[in-house]
Amino acid sequence: MEKDLQTKIAEAIANPKNMGEMDSADAIGTVGSPNCGDMVRMWIKFKEENGKKVIDRATFQTFGCETAIAVASLATELIKGKTPEEAMALRGEDLAADLGPLPPMRIHCGQLVEGALRNALSDAPPQASEPVSKPATGGGSLLANFTPASASQKKIVFLDAGKQ
Amino acid sequence: MNTTTTQTTPRAISGDATMARVLEVYPGAQRALFRKYHIGGCSSCGFDPNETLAQVCARNNHLNVAEVIAHIEQSHAADQQIYVSAQELSRWRAENVAARLVDIRTREEFDATHIPGATLFTQEIMTEMLGRWPRAELVVIYDHLGNKSMDAAAYFLGHGFTNVRALRGGIDAWAEIDSTIRKYRLD
Repeated sequence: MEKDLQTKIAEAIANPKNMGEMDSADAIGTVGSPNCGDMVRMWIKFKEENGKKVIDRATFQTFGCETAIAVASLATELIKGKTPEEAMALRGEDLAADLGPLPPMRIHCGQLVEGALRNALSDAPPQASEPVSKPATGGGSLLANFTPASASQKKIVFLDAGKQ
Repeated sequence: MNTTTTQTTPRAISGDATMARVLEVYPGAQRALFRKYHIGGCSSCGFDPNETLAQVCARNNHLNVAEVIAHIEQSHAADQQIYVSAQELSRWRAENVAARLVDIRTREEFDATHIPGATLFTQEIMTEMLGRWPRAELVVIYDHLGNKSMDAAAYFLGHGFTNVRALRGGIDAWAEIDSTIRKYRLD
């Protein structure tokens, strides 16, 4: 079961769909923060179809684990053509359905994508919001421990001015 | 007559220990938990320092606390095997051992000095690593002083990479054997 899931995740992230920023997005949603480890951000463009506002296309960026990348890739395909209300009704398990059931310890990866989608479709402005499931504090995240801040505030001082 | 003998060593931690205490006793516990159980890798699957180990186990599919403690205890030796010294890495490079070198410092530090052939770790590279890099390929991760690269190595080991190493002492240690690399501090 787990091996099948791993294979599907590997296939999904080998050629992730709709990855990257979208210049002309109508809505942007973010969960997490790139400065503290995992983050999923989603851009959405709408169009009119048969008198209804539907999702034309969506893209994403993530600084999360491979499951989050795979789910985000699937989700941005799944929501095409849906109304905002239809997309808002999708839960993490719906977005990850093509991967099959996620084991309990990876469900949060799907929830991250769900959170970014809901954030984009809600009226709230894009924000570095709290993760949708239990947040960690005080070094509870391995990813946050080693990912550098986007811009360092510290000055580099060479110890040996004689070199170079 | 004392007939009671015990063959087990009293454990330094129990399920009642807070995660702060667990990390104090076993600094590599977080890496161990992620490698085997996918706990503590990102903020969503992370834990609070005030939570007890038993609580973390309970909300992660009711893991067996004794088994988790045993795993944490055994992982210290495994951590030591992940490290590679600057001398050993230098020998690998001299022998043209195929290895990807990943620099997890900031872009500013990378631009200031880096080991030739290294790739700066970015969001895009992370996606590429998880998506396209062969899991069996040798990957050596380094930071400034060697205090973060083990966490990065554990993260990728937890994602199925099988041959990830962390440069002991970071680029600072590498500078000892490579005169083109300048040592620095961050103020």
